[in-house]
Amino acid sequence: MTRPPNNDNLMTFKLVVVGDGGVGKSALTIQFFQKLFVTDYDPTIEDSYIQHTEVDKQWCILDVLDTAGQEEFSAMREQYMRKGDGFLLVYSVTDKQSYENIINFYTQILRVKDRDVYPMLLVANKVDLVHLRKVSEEQGRELAHRLGIPYIETSAKDPPLNVDAAFHEVVRIIRNQPPAELEKNRRKRRRSGKCNLL
Amino acid sequence: MLWPVLGDDGLSPTSPSRAAPLKGVNKLGPLLLCAPCKPSHRKNQNSTQWYVQQPTWRLWGEERGDGVIYTVYLKKVRYHRPTRSLSASDSDDEISHLEWETVRVRFLKAGTVQRLVESLANDDGELESTYINVFLATYRAFTTPRDVLELLLARYDALDENSVALTGEQHRKTLVQALHVWLDAYPGDWKSPPNHPLLARLLDFTHRRLPGSELELKARHRLHRFQREDQIDSCLVYDNGRMQGPGDSIVDHWPGYTFPEVPHRHFAEQLTRMDAEVFRKLVAHQCLGAVWSRRDRSRSHDAATVLATVNQFNAVSLRVISTVLMETNLKPQERARILETWIDIAQELRILKNFSSLKAIVSGLQSNPVYRLEKCWQCMPREKHELFRELERIFSEENNAWTQRELLIKEGTAKFADTAGRSDRHLQKIFQKQNTHSGNISYGTIPYLGTFLTDLTMIDTAIPDTIAEGLINFDKRRKEFEVLARIRLLQGAANAYNFSTDPLFDRWFHSVIVLDDREAYKLSCQIEPPPPGNTLNNRGKKKQSNHQGHRKNDSIASTSSSSSSQFYCDLDSLPSSPHNSLDRRTSPSQMSSSSSSSSLPSLDVSLSSGGAGSSGQHSRLQLPPSGLANGSTPNLTGPMSPTHSHKSSPDFYIIKVTMESDSVETEGVVLYKSIMLSNNERTPQVIRNAMLKLNIEGSPDQYTLAQVLPDREMVLPSSANVYYAVNTAHNLNFILRPRRDVNEGNVDSPKNKTTNHKQ
Repeated sequence: MTRPPNNDNLMTFKLVVVGDGGVGKSALTIQFFQKLFVTDYDPTIEDSYIQHTEVDKQWCILDVLDTAGQEEFSAMREQYMRKGDGFLLVYSVTDKQSYENIINFYTQILRVKDRDVYPMLLVANKVDLVHLRKVSEEQGRELAHRLGIPYIETSAKDPPLNVDAAFHEVVRIIRNQPPAELEKNRRKRRRSGKCNLL
Repeated sequence: MLWPVLGDDGLSPTSPSRAAPLKGVNKLGPLLLCAPCKPSHRKNQNSTQWYVQQPTWRLWGEERGDGVIYTVYLKKVRYHRPTRSLSASDSDDEISHLEWETVRVRFLKAGTVQRLVESLANDDGELESTYINVFLATYRAFTTPRDVLELLLARYDALDENSVALTGEQHRKTLVQALHVWLDAYPGDWKSPPNHPLLARLLDFTHRRLPGSELELKARHRLHRFQREDQIDSCLVYDNGRMQGPGDSIVDHWPGYTFPEVPHRHFAEQLTRMDAEVFRKLVAHQCLGAVWSRRDRSRSHDAATVLATVNQFNAVSLRVISTVLMETNLKPQERARILETWIDIAQELRILKNFSSLKAIVSGLQSNPVYRLEKCWQCMPREKHELFRELERIFSEENNAWTQRELLIKEGTAKFADTAGRSDRHLQKIFQKQNTHSGNISYGTIPYLGTFLTDLTMIDTAIPDTIAEGLINFDKRRKEFEVLARIRLLQGAANAYNFSTDPLFDRWFHSVIVLDDREAYKLSCQIEPPPPGNTLNNRGKKKQSNHQGHRKNDSIASTSSSSSSQFYCDLDSLPSSPHNSLDRRTSPSQMSSSSSSSSLPSLDVSLSSGGAGSSGQHSRLQLPPSGLANGSTPNLTGPMSPTHSHKSSPDFYIIKVTMESDSVETEGVVLYKSIMLSNNERTPQVIRNAMLKLNIEGSPDQYTLAQVLPDREMVLPSSANVYYAVNTAHNLNFILRPRRDVNEGNVDSPKNKTTNHKQ
């Protein structure tokens, strides 16, 4: 594996993990960053959720926002949705309600983004719990198809299944946007950078 | 050593060296022993444990025993204490004569419950003061109060039987001391009306083993207090029920506040008063991941005080949203005044260090229905934009909410706010002004709780509950305790606020009509219709405008889109669906008691009804389009004209509904609830919506709905389309009352349900 190049040249992707409470969002996020934590995990340090990653031989910085535990502060949700470049819409295959609520997150993201397409990935989590499964793969794929977004099955239990793949897939979706969209994305970033200097 | 007499509000020290930690049980200051948050170390992941930061500590290794694992450190300690009279000049000389020794210090890393309880006393049988703080704050994650008590009592008996001379005696004293600490610091653990079995068990024990002891007196005292409280509680419920007649239920003519012409400072103080009350009542250990984020709906009362904080936050945000949107006919300048007022209140909240309502207001202003009103934002003066941006930056998610964390560390226990970013011109000015008479100021701090909840959720996820074949991982609890201690420290600081209640403010607060997401979005689109033109291409052509005006941070498409218009139309098609209002529990009485709030706030769910397949390569979503006039068939297919209906007169009304009943508990606030009435709703549906808002259970068939007119009441027939039936020449005040032919007592009886069932 090559070394990550200098930060300045890297594209940063802000990924936002959304979904009901209890679907295992935090487990996915933690699993993704696990290599960094090793023993003494501290959730309060500033780079807890930032990682250099190589996706399709291109290095980038992933900045993951997971507000697990804050699901019920409903009023602040749109605030952080506004910041995301791409979204993981997570439900638990053991919780039908969480599956049914995906549509709400989807709708809200599009509204906040004021667009009719946005980089999102449907994540069916906890597939290790085979006996408790209430939402089939078929139902998951059907929903993904209906929303026009890709689908992935994950488990954060050891051995993890598709956890890195899920985060990387969102990066791919963002990169594969029509060029016009990507360009707007970049312009936006520059602008907001300027904004902070004010 | 004699066991000391303990006051009700704290512990007297057994010896000078133990003074601080023991007091800390109630006073909380020293709790932070385990929770240093030194900003300079934040980047360093290994520096978070306090013993590591001290150069005199060194990790030695691990030690295993039966059912227990310790982490062992070597610590250099001073053998002789330097005298107090030491002056700066001769200190070097003195120090060279000091003697040092190295001692082994063990920290319990993991163990069985039994070993954890035993470890409340150290090898010498003395109370481990830091340990007991951690244990009592976190043990509910792995065991129950009952089990801990039984273990403590059993240990007392066991020590008595095979007493090892002096240490046995000391160990027993320590157990008693631990019980004292527990009773004082966590009275809630002992309260379970009506019989308080845990206290009864303790009293039974003290009666047998320690008659006439301080412990017995304290337990008895506690029991009496609980019993008194139980009585008072039941009286209160009764009184409230009686005092609230239907006569004073609709109070329309009170001389109150009219937003936005309100005193900013006063509003900020009143919000802070409300927040402080909820925050002080917060039971910190309910924030633990094992309690809050792992709770299931049936157990949600375990986290009732956390939920109350969340509800208060949402209540403030929802008020921001509805004050901005409610009057759809305002000119953009007039609406901008409302935004400005909220920003001014937010600024005062910053000065008061109330980060909870501050964030609630910022979130409300950033919520989509408000944020998208570009014309309105453009009417706001430049300075207000800048101020808003400064306030908004406090809650930036950048770098794991670093700004906010820093602020809490710097100002958490400070007397007043004085931390502004280098570029925060407006806040700097404000703080400067304040600091000229800062001598008299002393404010508490109210944090935004959500960040703590996420931290605790992450700790809970990242660190295993058990290690080494099922031993309880106590290091995890220490980690959690660091966060809990910070919360409790701030709770202590929140006592510094002292604002008296303004009943007029409370009235205003509770009278604000609360909109759910769908209603808010609908109103927003009515105020500023999303421009027609659906395609991405169209929007691509739009130039990025208004450089000094309101700017969306991330606006990829800066103004509008088809999607929103489609959603808008789609919204029209569904009757105000009842579950959208489910989690809008906002009155304080409901907040404190509501335990079953659903975990996901409602959103527009209409999409889920359209099972229609779709999605070409471009992943265009095919929305179930709407029939504007006929909302009962949301599954119609076919494209919508996006401009449809935006300019027509409102196709819904906001009506106020009150309940005629003795049993509605209101705490003297305005009793009505506002609901949205759209143009396709018939009486049973409206009744159902009203029942949900008023928290009434049962079937809509058992109630009648009537509009209250100046001279009479107009009862709505059950088949009426309420939208067309109402008399709009008068106030849209309605009264909901149980049907006369149904006795109140058997409202829920299945018989009534079946006989009256109409739809």
